[in-house]
Formats: sequence, C-alpha cells, structure tokens
Amino acid sequence: MAENRMIRPVQVKLIVLFTLGLCLLPAVVYFLPGYQTSLDTLAAPSLEHWLGTNDIGQDILTGLLIATPNTIGIAVIAALLTLLLSIGVGIFVATAGRKLSGLVLRFIDILQSIPSILLILLVSVWLSPGMIALVVLLVATGWYDDVRVLRAVFLRELTRENVRYASIGGESGYYCMTVHVLPAVSPVLVGLFIQHIRRAALMTAGLGFLGITDTRLVTWGSMIQDSLNYLYTDAWLWLLLPPTLVLCLFLWGCLTFGQRFERYVMTGARLSV
Amino acid sequence: MPFSRRALIQYTALWPFLGFALSPTGANGRANRLVIADEGGDRGLPAPFLHHKDGIGYLYTSYIFDTLIAQDRTGKLVGGLARAWQLSSDGLSCTITLRDNIRWHDGSPLTAKDVVFTVAYMAKHPYLFVSTVKIARAVALSANRLNILLREPDAGLLSGTLLNLPILPEHLYAGHASPERFTSGSALMGSGPYRFSGYDRAEGRYFFKGNTDYYRGDPLFDQMAIVTMGPDAALRAMRSGEVDLIPFLPYDRVTQARSMGFQVVTAASNHVVRLLFNNRNRFQDRDRRHALAFAIHRKALIETVRQGEAAPAETGFFQPNSPWGGDTALPPYAFDPQQAQTLLSKSGWSRDQHKRWCSDGEVIHLTLVTDTPLRREAVVVSEQLESIGLSVDVRILERTALREALRSGNFDLSLLSTSTMGDPSDLARYLAGDFWNGDYFAGSREMTALLEQQAQVVSLHQRKALLAKFQALYAYELPSYMLFNPNYATAHNHKIAPRFLPDGVAIGIPTSVHKSVLVG
Repeated sequence: MAENRMIRPVQVKLIVLFTLGLCLLPAVVYFLPGYQTSLDTLAAPSLEHWLGTNDIGQDILTGLLIATPNTIGIAVIAALLTLLLSIGVGIFVATAGRKLSGLVLRFIDILQSIPSILLILLVSVWLSPGMIALVVLLVATGWYDDVRVLRAVFLRELTRENVRYASIGGESGYYCMTVHVLPAVSPVLVGLFIQHIRRAALMTAGLGFLGITDTRLVTWGSMIQDSLNYLYTDAWLWLLLPPTLVLCLFLWGCLTFGQRFERYVMTGARLSV
Repeated sequence: MPFSRRALIQYTALWPFLGFALSPTGANGRANRLVIADEGGDRGLPAPFLHHKDGIGYLYTSYIFDTLIAQDRTGKLVGGLARAWQLSSDGLSCTITLRDNIRWHDGSPLTAKDVVFTVAYMAKHPYLFVSTVKIARAVALSANRLNILLREPDAGLLSGTLLNLPILPEHLYAGHASPERFTSGSALMGSGPYRFSGYDRAEGRYFFKGNTDYYRGDPLFDQMAIVTMGPDAALRAMRSGEVDLIPFLPYDRVTQARSMGFQVVTAASNHVVRLLFNNRNRFQDRDRRHALAFAIHRKALIETVRQGEAAPAETGFFQPNSPWGGDTALPPYAFDPQQAQTLLSKSGWSRDQHKRWCSDGEVIHLTLVTDTPLRREAVVVSEQLESIGLSVDVRILERTALREALRSGNFDLSLLSTSTMGDPSDLARYLAGDFWNGDYFAGSREMTALLEQQAQVVSLHQRKALLAKFQALYAYELPSYMLFNPNYATAHNHKIAPRFLPDGVAIGIPTSVHKSVLVG
C-alpha cells in the first residue's frame, strides 16, 4: 500500500519530465547545425561529433535528437488515435442493435483476415510515407484488433448495477460512460495504449529499417538501416549502437511503465472498495 | 522409425552432388569451377525474352546465346557466329558468312536459316535490347551464307545490331507465339560458350556448364555458378576460396579487398549518375537547367557520397575513352551559386522575403525522384539546391513507380544512373524518344537531326564528326546534367583475369566479366 503511494508521484514526475523533454527536443534541434551532410564521413566519435558521423557525414547525435521525437511522436499519436477509434467503435457495437453491431463485427472480421503487415508494406513501398501518412497507415491497420476486446469489456461494465442504477436514476449516457464505465475499464485501456505505442514504434522503426519511409523522415529505424552497410567495419559501433540502444530503452520503458501503472490501478481499485 | 537406414545411405550418397547445387563452396574446390558473387540477386532466366530488363540480365544471357559479331578481350569487334561480313557500298545490304560446323547446345547444326528466323522472329516480337526496325528482312543464300537487307543505311549495324542480337534456334523457337511464356529448358538452348544447367529464382543462383564444342576456344571452366551475396560476405567467402570473383565490388571495399590479397581491377564505369531535368515542364528553359548545374558542387558530392571514388563527369553525353565523343572542350559548370541565382532570376523566378524562390508569387517546391541505390546522392543534391533557396522534396520510388513518374512527367528532377557506352545508333530514342530513363528532350531540332544523321551515315569518320557536334550541343543544352562517373571495381583471384572494355560490353554494359574472359 505504502509502496504504491510512493510510486505515484515519482511516476507523474517522470511522465512530466519525459513529455517536457520530448517537447523541448525539437527546440534543441532547431539550434543545432542540422542533420546536414558533410565531407566528414564515417568519422569516429570526437569532440566535434560526440557520437561520430555516418557515411554521408551526418552527425549521429543530431540524427538521434531528430529521430527520437519523430519516432516517439508517431508512436504516441498513432497509439492515441488507434485507441480513440477502437473505443468509439467498441462502444458503438456494445450499445447498437444486434443487426447493426453484427454488421460492423463482420466487417471487422474481414479486416482481421487481411494480414496488416503485408498491407502496410505494400502501401509503404508505393507511397514511401512521411510522418502523417505513416500515422494514418498505422491507425488504419491497428484499430480493429481491439474492438472485440473492448466490446466485451464495455458490455460487462454496462450491465453492472451501478450503471443501471445511474441510468434508472435519470443520468445521461455520457455521465454513465465517463463516471462509471471508462474509469472501470481504464487498466485495459492503458494496457492497450502501451501495446499500441510499442507496436507503432516497432513498426515505424521497421519500415525505416526497410528503407521504405520518406528519406527525409529520420527515425531510429532509418538510422539503423543506414548502419547496415558498415556492420563489417568499426563504424557499426557508432552507427548501429546508439539508435538500437535508444529503441530498446524506449520499448523497455513502455513495458515497465505499463506494468507499474497496471499494478497501481489494480491495487488502487481494491482500496476504494 | 523416422529415417530408415537405406534412406540415410541414399542421402549420404547424394551429398557430393548436392554440394555444388546447394552451396557455392562444394567440397573439393576444383580448379576449373568459377563462382561469381553478385549482390544483385535474381536477374530472371538467362534467355532473350525472359531475363530482367537490365544489363546484367542481358550479360548472363550472352553466356548462353552467341551473336553474329562478338568482342574480343579488348573490346574490338571480331567474328562471332559470323566468319566474315561485307557491307554493300550503299549501306543497304550486308552479306554474312557463318563459321563452319557451329552447333546449338543440343547438337543440331546452326545455319543461316536460324539467323533468318531470328531476324523475322524479333521483328514480330521486339526484343528490348536490340532494335531490328531498320532491317527489312534477311535472306539465306546457302547453309552458311545470308544477306541482310536494310530499309535505310544503319551506321550501327555492325557495332550495334549484329553485335547485340542473340541468335535463336529456329527448331526450338518456331511456333512459340509468346516467347515471354516459353520458359522450358529448350528456351535456354543457345550456341554460346556456356550451357544453362540450373537456376534458383528465390536464391538468385545460376549454374552453367562449359560448352566443350564451343567454336571460339574452350571454355575456361567446366562449371560456373553465380550466387547472390553481399560484398562483405563475398569477400569472406573469397578468402576461404568459396568465391572467385566479385564483379561489382563497392568502391569503399577496394582497399580492404587489396589488403586481403586479392587482385582488383578498376575502371571508370561510364555508367554515369546524372540529374535529369523535367524538360517537358519547369525546365524547358535552358537558363534554369544551367542555373541548377551551377548550384551543384559536384566535387563535394563525390567526396561525400563516394569518398572520392568517382570523377566529375563530362557534361556532354559521352565520357572520356568513348570512341564517339570527340575532343572538344566542354563547359564544366563549375560551382557558382551566384551565377545560379542570376540565371534563375533571368528565367523569371523571384525570391520572397524568406529568400525562397517563387514563380508567380507561389513558392516553388521541386520534386526529386530516384530509387533506393541513389538515395544518399539525392539527399546531398537536394541539400545543395536548398542552400540557394530552392525547396526540394525527395521521393525514393520503387522501380516501377519511378518509371511511371518519368514517363508521365510527374517530377521536376530525377537522379539516374545510365550507361553512356555502346553503339549510339539508338541515341535519338534516348534523347527524345521512348526510353523510360531517357531525356524526354525535344528542345533542340539540331540535336535530333544530328542523331538521325549519324545513325544513317556509312562513313565512320563522318559519323564521329556528327556525334562530336552532338556532344558539344548536349553539354550546352544540358537535357541532363552529368554529375559523376563512378569507378567500378572487380575483385578476383588467379583463376580469371577480368577486364573492363572501353565502350562496355555489347549494349554498353559496364562489366569486366565479358564472355571473352571466360574462354581460353
């Protein structure tokens, strides 16, 4: 109990710091010389280039500073939009009539039978998506996997006594939803959110790694891709390691945060009973 | 019992045979086997209508299919299937005498009838790499003599058409209405120094066997395999003796290969990286093309993306060592951002308060399209153009999409890598015709006329004079800005002595593994 209470402020501070840092990164990048090519190609880390340079003389540290908000930004925005969409559809199928919800669920069945990774690859090869197109692509191929889970959760919550009483007592649907249902399903939502962030971050990195996103869009994946030609030389140390480490760190952070948040909410819920 | 003893013995007995098919290594490394490591992978089945539409696909096919005229180890034209040829004084007919006792890989004799058939067949089913439109027909005079009759004189008949046209076996190809679907083993039966013996599309592997009946000498190798392997893996495999030849060693691995004790031959590839302007749209204005040329710092580009392993290209079409380019000094368009800006202003563009270039009050966004191999170059070029205030959007397109963008004119600039070698009789099609990676340039009647003339004159001297004029005009009109001429390198061991030819192999392929180096 005490442990949980202690975790909370630390977590909040961490989240605030993390968000602030992310917001500040573009500002920092603005004052940097930019991810410009130079004649200083494949330079090892030095005072001038702290993390060295790549094969066309771009500074790795600057690259990381640009890639980090890009990758995380795409991941967070895509995850948020995916979740909002699936919540919307989830509520709809949980509350709509049998025919209508049946229709939507069949449609989702069709979508689910298409392997989304192939779809993403196909569209990416043709469009070589930039940031916005990438988010749209990730949302479009991610939302339907959650709908069934959310429908079940919403159905369970909507049939609980507190919701019924509130409903009989004349409270609006919006009130029931925001006060009774959503808080109760929040652990599931957070879980899904974290899962989506990880999926989107990995997918962005993966597409960048395959070299099928917009060339100008610097992501961790595209930086890893740049390093592939030099795995047999010493340059892999400063080309491959930094983006890979940051990617692993981020995924690990997401996982840890998700677990802690879940634990906090679960125990918190038990306390309030 | 999942595995019977008998089956086990059978499998074990199969191993020595599987060894070569499954791995480039094999068990015993016999001296007369050649293993070539190519990064490119699958190039399609090595037959004229089946290989991929690239030079290497054509090259592999040329190991199996011979042509009437061939190149020797220095690139000089020598007899191939033809022993002798005689062009009439009006240039409208060519009498060809075939060698005696030449045979197809299946043992049947190769006669003048096969050549006549090939010409007729290619007329009906055009082959992308050789145009036969100028040939009216071919007539067999005897079993080993024939006459080729032309519609108009063709300056490139010998060094172009007859050098490049693979001769097909009539008894196997006759009756096949769509050669693209003729994929059985008979489609791969040629008369060249090597026979086809296997192909694995997924792995991008090719297996050939030496043709011991070959009329121009014995093949150097009993077996030859081409395997897909990246340069680093290939270098390691070469060290352990599994690979003998890396035809296209990346420029940044040359030092490493030399330090590992391998021989490396290098040459200017004349496969030039060029900046194509959209000559049908924004860049119809010559001043704008000149402006962009002045805005690009080619030396810095070469230093950045090629670590110096390339030379600034000639700004005309032909590159040094080409037999066609003449020796007129051409404008180098040395880096001069001031001049670039003056020319852009002169062309009617102006700058807004943020120093961005505008046309009719609207900011100009140039779209630069290219494909993956040139993406690093695209980044540097776009940065250089942005430094004079142009906004450039880089699009890396898949090959088919790139083709479509260029055809439809849906781009402003494009980075392409093009061979400038081979007989120039088709150059008119490249400049303003239907070549997908051509210049789409109709801005100079004089250039078009020169190209049409040079394709018809019979005198070599006259032809060279016309092409030299074209070369100078190209550098002035600048339908494309030739950026740099990369050096190509081939790493090899003692088994083979590869060699780059000054005007490329056949259609102008910048390779050192021409079939003449594979024959003793």
